[in-house]
Amino acid sequence: MNEHVKPVYLEEKLDEIRADGHLAYRSKSLPTWCPGCGYFAMQEGLTIALNRLGIRNEDAVVVSGIGCSSRFPFFVNTYGFHTLHGRTLPVATGVKTANDALTVVAIGGDGDGFAIGGGHIPHAARRNVDMTYMVFDNGIYGLTKGQTSPTTAVGFRSKTTPYANEDQPLHPLMMLLAYRASWVGQAYAGRPHHLADMMEQAIAHRGFSYLHILSPCVTFDKTDRTYANLNMQVQDLPDDHDPTDLMAAMAQAAAHEIPALGLFYREERPTLTDVMNDTAERARNAPAPAE
Amino acid sequence: MAKSRNGTDIQFAIIGSAGDGTIAAGDIMKRAAALMGYKVIAFDIYPPEIRGFGKCISRIRISSQQTYSLKHKSDVLISLNDSHAIAHVGEVRDFGAVLFEDSPIAAIPEGGHISAHIAAAQVPYGFANRRICEEATGKARSRNIVALGYAAGLFDIPAEIFHEIIAQKFAKKPQAVTDDNIRAFDAGFAAGKATFKLDDVRVGMPQQVANGKDAVMMTGNGAVARGFLEAGIDTYFGYPITPATSIMERLAAALPRAGGRFLQTEDEIAAISATLGAGYAGARAATATSGPGLALMTEMMGLGVMAEVPFVVVVSQRGGPSTGLPTKTEQSDLNLAVFGGSGDARRIVLAPTNVEGCYRCAGMAFEIAEKYQTPVIVLIDLYLSNRFETVIPPRENVFAPKPRIKPELPENQPYRRFALTDDGISPRALPGDEGHMHTVTGLEHNELGRPSDALHQQMNAKRHDKLTSATRYPGLTTCKRFGDEGRVKVGILGWGSTFGEILETMYAAQDEGISCAAMKVVMLSPLPEERINEFFDDCDHILVPELNHEGQFANLVSGALGRPVVRLNRTTGAPMMVDEILAEVRRLAQTGIGEGTHSPVQQQGATT
Amino acid sequence: MADPLHHVIIGSGSAGFGAAATLRENDPDCRISMITMDSLPFYNRYDLPRIFRGCTDWHELLAVPPAYYSENRITLRRHNKVVDVDGKTQQIRLAHQEVIHFDSLLVCAGGRAYLPETLIDSAPLMHGFGSYEAAMRLYRDLPENGHAVMIGGDMIGIDLALTLLDTGRRVTLVTNAQTFWPHEPDDELRAQLLQALARRGIEVVQDARPATVTTPEGAERGRVVAFEDGTTMTADVVIPSCGLVPMVEFMLNAGVDIERGLLVTPELGTTHPHIWAAGDVCQIWNDEEKAYKFYHGWKNVRVMGELAARNIKGAHEIFDVKVEDRIEVDDQGNIHSTFWTH
Repeated sequence: MNEHVKPVYLEEKLDEIRADGHLAYRSKSLPTWCPGCGYFAMQEGLTIALNRLGIRNEDAVVVSGIGCSSRFPFFVNTYGFHTLHGRTLPVATGVKTANDALTVVAIGGDGDGFAIGGGHIPHAARRNVDMTYMVFDNGIYGLTKGQTSPTTAVGFRSKTTPYANEDQPLHPLMMLLAYRASWVGQAYAGRPHHLADMMEQAIAHRGFSYLHILSPCVTFDKTDRTYANLNMQVQDLPDDHDPTDLMAAMAQAAAHEIPALGLFYREERPTLTDVMNDTAERARNAPAPAE
Repeated sequence: MAKSRNGTDIQFAIIGSAGDGTIAAGDIMKRAAALMGYKVIAFDIYPPEIRGFGKCISRIRISSQQTYSLKHKSDVLISLNDSHAIAHVGEVRDFGAVLFEDSPIAAIPEGGHISAHIAAAQVPYGFANRRICEEATGKARSRNIVALGYAAGLFDIPAEIFHEIIAQKFAKKPQAVTDDNIRAFDAGFAAGKATFKLDDVRVGMPQQVANGKDAVMMTGNGAVARGFLEAGIDTYFGYPITPATSIMERLAAALPRAGGRFLQTEDEIAAISATLGAGYAGARAATATSGPGLALMTEMMGLGVMAEVPFVVVVSQRGGPSTGLPTKTEQSDLNLAVFGGSGDARRIVLAPTNVEGCYRCAGMAFEIAEKYQTPVIVLIDLYLSNRFETVIPPRENVFAPKPRIKPELPENQPYRRFALTDDGISPRALPGDEGHMHTVTGLEHNELGRPSDALHQQMNAKRHDKLTSATRYPGLTTCKRFGDEGRVKVGILGWGSTFGEILETMYAAQDEGISCAAMKVVMLSPLPEERINEFFDDCDHILVPELNHEGQFANLVSGALGRPVVRLNRTTGAPMMVDEILAEVRRLAQTGIGEGTHSPVQQQGATT
Repeated sequence: MADPLHHVIIGSGSAGFGAAATLRENDPDCRISMITMDSLPFYNRYDLPRIFRGCTDWHELLAVPPAYYSENRITLRRHNKVVDVDGKTQQIRLAHQEVIHFDSLLVCAGGRAYLPETLIDSAPLMHGFGSYEAAMRLYRDLPENGHAVMIGGDMIGIDLALTLLDTGRRVTLVTNAQTFWPHEPDDELRAQLLQALARRGIEVVQDARPATVTTPEGAERGRVVAFEDGTTMTADVVIPSCGLVPMVEFMLNAGVDIERGLLVTPELGTTHPHIWAAGDVCQIWNDEEKAYKFYHGWKNVRVMGELAARNIKGAHEIFDVKVEDRIEVDDQGNIHSTFWTH
């Protein structure tokens, strides 16, 4: 019986998917991630979000650094720039500054973003560059086959912490709130529909949106951040959380070892483009600078 | 044959402390000279301290014929502050003039007055600067202008020229400020005029002049900024670093008005990353830095080469390594500019030799970067960055971008961003171009841009060979020979700011009857080897003077051509002295050199 | 090692320069500073008439090449005006407020041109002859066939007047009490001398008292001398030449005796143990005449400078002048002065 039912179900599902249109945002390259990797959900989520927002393929630029997650641009059918380790955000800033019409999505992992690239995050956030930064956080360096990252839990044993990690992990959400990112949210690869919704909201936000996405590394972490563990730990933000209240957002971010899923904080303020346009306006009205 | 050097050729050195208006006086002097139609080369030295009363020097060489460097000796020293000027009295030539305050109000310790240090062969001119200033304006503030007036009166330079420049300079201030300064100038002028002239400094009027009003006084950094602006620079991301900062400051003021975008980034890595991002998105994008900044940027330079992204990096060298000598000049980042980074990462490096060259190279750099789809470095140094020269820019903008031609999309085939073509240049699509979606990467890739090792050798060759034609880029001087034609005894090969001293040396050598030629090499990568080789063929000896210890340019040329050179290396923090180069030219012309010193790997000390 | 002694010389004329050179010969290590209001290194003032023979380049007038000073480590401070000498602290204060300590001070400040009181107001319109610059101004303002009026006619001036005459200029000499200064010829000799001058071609005007010097109305150049009797005389230049007065004002606080000049012993020491004087600025005790006497003339002055320098370095030489004060006219009508003949 099963053999008969299943294809029918899949065919229907596929028709539904094809009709939706988001497959046009997938590239012809097949992802190189391990089977079961949480990043497949990211790929699906981003194509859905772009599709829903009606952003044309040629108007989207996905910029990444180096790492498992940074391979992402090759797997979406947009413009893409696979840059250097840690330099996702400044390159993306340059792209957006050069052409406001582009939708810029910066993607990287926890190592790319918070270790080597950590110096750039505060500045992209405070300047409110109109882009979305998605960090796929699996708490490990996967591409180099399993070393400790800045978000690895205390006590975790990796190839570079064979006697267990003793460094306190970074708290990305609290950092981003402190840096005044104008949109801060968290999603989880194990909840793909919520993830796609959050991606859509993040991209739609005018300003610097930061989406932290929890994901297991099914190859190099069999003990800590597994689907099983995460499924048990994650929870939604309370219904009454006010995302315009920065202190409440901070409190929520600090409340649990694995913070809740959802939109922590959102504010409207001038983007870098706005500021530059305003500067241009004031400059044009000012006396000419000396030679 | 030898160039005779008649007419005016005077170098002023105005020395005082930061509070004395030293640089402002120098500015007026150089602008006045330019307005009169003189060629001007000038160099200001500021104190390393940020504020306070550190030493400022403005050296201004004005001449009726083209000159190429500052002179080692000044003709006139104007002291606005003896405590700083005393150390520089020795730079005034015999029978040159020293102008100083002879009635200061505060007590001076023994030896603290410049008159105690002026050599008998130099001519002292003491004048009551403060008193003249107070009588003219009621204040002592415009003593720098009184001194200028005194010099103008003494050397018979028309006052009207200075009036015009002073009015321009204080145009944004209340009229009373201009009036005071004109009065101060005139009072000084009268005193200078009444002084019996004992020196032999002669300021004649310039002989042939292009209209002085067409000449623009620029520093190398100012010329870079101007070239960028005329080329329609879209974005500038930068991080402050001496001596490149003033490029950034000019663009911070000018770019928003011109419709471009400016951002001070968090560090040099972010600056070049954003520059590369903007270049990738189709902007004319540039940044500027110095050696330490370039060291941080080299990884991104490599990405620019690999991903074939056009952008421009200006590098103004200072003494190194490491933090080195931030306020002293040097030419020791050639290796980093030409070779810096991992892998075989050939890029274009342009090293202008004068301020006009800074303007031209900066103006053309975008077009070249776009044509060859690669980063372009414009390599200058502190001496070039900060020195002033008169430049007569073309009346029409020759650097403005031309309309882009979008690549056509082949039917039923994916767009191949890195298509292997005959000239190595692949049609380039920009984000926003419909149907051309692709991803670029720092990984080795195939024609589509997808990561692949398979074509590494072909892709390396493509990235290398596509640049070769740049050595004959139309409208760009990539190398040029000066001096005697045909076979010569000594050929001086040079690059960057040192070429000014090299040309002065060459003319001096010719005056001595030495057959001598010089060649400047502006494009350091790719190297215009063929023409350099021809130059070698014509010269009995090739001398390469440069401001670094290892002979980086000598190594570059000698290595590329497999031919020996004689090196002259100095790292004093100051420009090379003409006398030093000339001594070496004389030695080569007279005695030649032994086998031992004629080796391509011979290190510094050709004279030993 | 102790600091080398600092020997300061005020003045850069024959006496001062001779002293500096002698000091260096006697002591290779000491510091030597020459302070002068001049703008040139040492040149012989008596050479200045050469300017009218075409030698206008100051380089040719210098007694020694400029490198002499650096080679001999003589600090030459030009454009320096001494305003005060404090004998107690052994300090010199300069007009530009610099204070200099000295171990020994030799004052060779010389004299400035004397001007009769009636002519002081006219000074700006007259042409001095005390320095290269002044001489050059005179040279520029006096055309080759021009007319110079000389008032007084001291021995320096007469030398100039004869040169002007020999180079084609017309010279009128208006005599006064200072004519032939520093010589004081008796009436008979004076008459002989004036006659000799007149025979040479100088127009001698006697017993005329100049009152003012002005510029002619409506003219850009030229001068008008008005005499007390109402008569006038036009000229291109008017040259006062009435002898010298010693420059001693800055020595009032030095603690030395001053009469007209600085009073010195035959060893050229003043009443201050570390201050000496030489040249036109000083009066030397003459034991025979029991009086302090001036000894003018470049020959005397040079000898004094050298002698003072040796005495500063510990000698005890006496200025025993053998140059007589004598002026006479020879058979050919040429005037000879024991002080000024070259």
